[in-house]
Amino acid sequence: MLAFIGRSAIQKIVTLFFVSIISFLIVHLAPGEPSQIDPLNPKFTQEVLERFRKEFHLDKPLHIQYLYYYRDLLTGKSVSWKDNRPVLKKIYERFKNSLWLFILGTLITWTLSFPVGIHAAIRRGGLYDRSTTFLAYLLISIPGFFFAYMLIIFVVTHFHVPVIGMETFGISSTGWYWFMDRMWHLLLPSILGAAGGIAVLSRYVRNQMLEVESQDYVRTAKAKGLSPDKVHYKHALRNALLPFVTMFGLILPGLIGGSVIIESIFSWPGMGRMAYEAILARNYPVILAVNFISAILVLVGTFISDLLYMVVDPRIRL
Amino acid sequence: MRWTLIAVPTLLIVFLLQSYLWVPSYEEQGENPERLNEFIEGSIGDAQILNPVLSADSASSGIESKVFEGLIDRDEDLRFRGRLATHWEIFEEAYFYVNNDAWIPTLGRGDAEGVIRFLRKAMETRKRRDDRVSRSLANIEKIEALPGRTFEVSKQEKGAGGESVAITIRVSAPPRIRMVLKEVDQELFDHLSELLGRDYFSSFDGARFIEVHPKGFSSNREAYGKELLPATAHNPVIVFHLRPNVKFHDGHIFDAYDVKFTYEAIMNRRNLSPRIADYEPVKAVEVLDPLTVRVVYKRLYSPALGTWGMGILPVHLLNSKALRQEAMHRGLDPDKFTLRQSQFNRRPLGCGPFRFREWKSDQYIVLDRFDDYWEGPPNYKRYTFRIVPDLLTQEMEFYAGTVDGYGVQPHQVERLSKDPAYQSFSGLSFGYTYIGYNMRREPFKDRRVRKALGMAIDVDKIITYVLYGQGEKITGPFLKQTDFYNHAIAPLPYDPEGALRLLAIAGWKKGPKGWLQKNGKRLQFTLITNQGNNLRKAILSIAQDSWRKIGIDVRTDVLEWAVFIQERVNKLDFDALILGWSMGIDPDLYQIWHSSQIHPNQLNFVAFRNEEADDLIIKIRQEYDHERQVQYCRRLHEIIAQEQPYTFLYVGKWTAILDKRIVIKEVDPEGKPRYSRIQPTKTGNYTFYFNKWIKLPEVPRFEMEG
Repeated sequence: MLAFIGRSAIQKIVTLFFVSIISFLIVHLAPGEPSQIDPLNPKFTQEVLERFRKEFHLDKPLHIQYLYYYRDLLTGKSVSWKDNRPVLKKIYERFKNSLWLFILGTLITWTLSFPVGIHAAIRRGGLYDRSTTFLAYLLISIPGFFFAYMLIIFVVTHFHVPVIGMETFGISSTGWYWFMDRMWHLLLPSILGAAGGIAVLSRYVRNQMLEVESQDYVRTAKAKGLSPDKVHYKHALRNALLPFVTMFGLILPGLIGGSVIIESIFSWPGMGRMAYEAILARNYPVILAVNFISAILVLVGTFISDLLYMVVDPRIRL
Repeated sequence: MRWTLIAVPTLLIVFLLQSYLWVPSYEEQGENPERLNEFIEGSIGDAQILNPVLSADSASSGIESKVFEGLIDRDEDLRFRGRLATHWEIFEEAYFYVNNDAWIPTLGRGDAEGVIRFLRKAMETRKRRDDRVSRSLANIEKIEALPGRTFEVSKQEKGAGGESVAITIRVSAPPRIRMVLKEVDQELFDHLSELLGRDYFSSFDGARFIEVHPKGFSSNREAYGKELLPATAHNPVIVFHLRPNVKFHDGHIFDAYDVKFTYEAIMNRRNLSPRIADYEPVKAVEVLDPLTVRVVYKRLYSPALGTWGMGILPVHLLNSKALRQEAMHRGLDPDKFTLRQSQFNRRPLGCGPFRFREWKSDQYIVLDRFDDYWEGPPNYKRYTFRIVPDLLTQEMEFYAGTVDGYGVQPHQVERLSKDPAYQSFSGLSFGYTYIGYNMRREPFKDRRVRKALGMAIDVDKIITYVLYGQGEKITGPFLKQTDFYNHAIAPLPYDPEGALRLLAIAGWKKGPKGWLQKNGKRLQFTLITNQGNNLRKAILSIAQDSWRKIGIDVRTDVLEWAVFIQERVNKLDFDALILGWSMGIDPDLYQIWHSSQIHPNQLNFVAFRNEEADDLIIKIRQEYDHERQVQYCRRLHEIIAQEQPYTFLYVGKWTAILDKRIVIKEVDPEGKPRYSRIQPTKTGNYTFYFNKWIKLPEVPRFEMEG
């Protein structure tokens, strides 16, 4: 066990190093350079541009720039070029906002997918199964932004309430009102964020259940005369859950990714939007920091899912 | 198990949905008195840095204009008016070196005293040969001689091996004449040379008065002579008289030292101010007394006055001692700490009508009314700048009542302007869209080809179908709402037949396959524009289609912005392009149209060259008299319209939509409030009286409406 942890830690650090190089190169390969000023504004002279490049170390060779960026990042001194604020602080601020969306979205996805998927598996081929299949494919194939716009227009024109942002603007409500207002503003984006997840996950649950249901031990349980509920929810479900335990570790990177489209449409000040805007503005320190942290989260996530697998399935020895 | 699986999500959803019951609706928000005292503006992007010295984006400058105040700004008619400065004077100090070798008509050689006596006599004599000369003479208020002096200057020069060598230049300057003029006179020396002799100034050789040490580096003597001892010099001077007892938001009184500090903050190279080019012509900013500032310029530069609309920073919070303290406090290296790193940029403080309250990145910026504002506090208690990055949701928030104003898109104008709940304003934007031709390349060297290309495009159709009518034709590079724009110039007619005739005269005739050709070569080029601007993309297709119709083989390419600018525009590697310029009010066109600016990375990338235009461009930026400037501009406009280096397409219209409940509230002398409808100024600026706006609980009825 300890040997596994040690080995995997070393592997992951090496991977991380390569990820850092590759993401650095990709960011630099993209055409264009960061600039706090508009190259087409006649007020800015070439000299000003040059001084900006120098300030950002853009005049140095690539490997030196690489060292500068990661030194700053690892010592926590990295500063966003757009507004001169520390990158880690910025990320933390945004992370807090995205976290709520993430938690609620995950909660909805995971609590809703299971009953929907299990029910479909039990009633295989029935009207319920077919309609959920249809709905699932509909949700997967409709672009998220379209769905979001439809929902926003519907809610605003029919209910006359604000839905954009993290809270109703211009109203300083307190206490319970404040909390509920926040909840309401969380509702639409998290449902939209969860919609795709529910569609995929419920399909997955259904397939797992079907597979397990056709196993011999399930037939045995049925033959013993156990009630259908007991067969489905105790014998079948427990075994079908196994792969989902490991999936839990893999949702970790979603924490930092956020959703660019949902966050932009709902003007939610989250991570996804920040990363996207950083990419458009070629704000290298922010892009690299987000990249680096999400790489760490991916690696930690796989590590956790490995461990979880070991815990739930005693047959596996690493 | 089964029931838990069903109960948990059901409860979750029910809990979430019931939150709807607690959210205020549009009507309820209207009943909230607090909400009526707040103006919420929607914006697509966040501000970057709230410091007028450092920012370069429009979101930031919008906020800065509310928090900070400049010395001057522009009034309803775009003329300057005093803000922190109550009034100002502009005059000039002019200098020239006494040229002992020059032969002065009727005087012969003259020393300083002789020249002064000669000029004084000329000033007194009324029988003038030339009216303009006598006007220049009458403009001289004071004339005096400055004795010769010697001084040393050190410079760095490249040695033979490429190393840097320090050299010393010893200057023994001859006596100099100093004149104080009542008004700036850019033609002074031209007129004086009619008295002193044609080559009195041009034959002055500064190099004769300098010695370079060590001797080996004398090759640049000529250049140093010109630099250190220019024969003539114009030093325009602006004296600002400041408003007394104006308070910053922290109660500190504003004075001349704040103005001086703001200038120094811009010029401090470590601050990387993007405005440094504006203030480069400044020679010195002197504090005469706490309420008087004197700005001396190195040369004639008429856009100078406009630059003082810049928001003034409080020196007491940002001087080097304060910055040092902040650095120490935050545990940063005080030697590397500059204005750019200061927290001031996140919570600015000025003497504008609103004081800063809170900024949440990518969410909102909140400003509170400043009760001690010198012009009286605004009506709104609060101004909120809200970031909504999506155009459609901005509109939705507007309906929901949580945004009061936002930049409406052309297609939204259509449906919103008819709604009785809203009032709308529109005006011309400060910028235009054009097709530029690279005149270094065939076939664009020929003016007739450029003109024909312009005639083949139906701009009216572009305005109707691409802009939904939200645009106007434009014929030249000046702002249409200023008097610099020459309205006498007619736009190119849409005339494909005429275009073909013009091309035929230029030698381009239809070939066997229907393409135009000349000497066996097909008329072929590539039109490019940048990704991400759908209007330009639409114009690209329209232009391609119109040109193909008359037999021109046009290819098109849409490039990512950074590639477009860096690889194509900056490197001058293009045939024709679609682009837009945003403009200020000042008519200085030096960077975009002067022939010295045609090199890579410069803005005259189409390589427009015209001697008369060059001369006018220089004259415009040196002229301080509005009427004369207008004359020069109109002539320049005419030349550019004739030459057609661009096909000028259109200037866009902006539209703003406001709730009808927002009105202007004024209080008459008896203390009774008077409400009136918001009216845009002549130049279309509807927010000009923003400080007097207020939102009422109900749509008011105005008598005029009936």
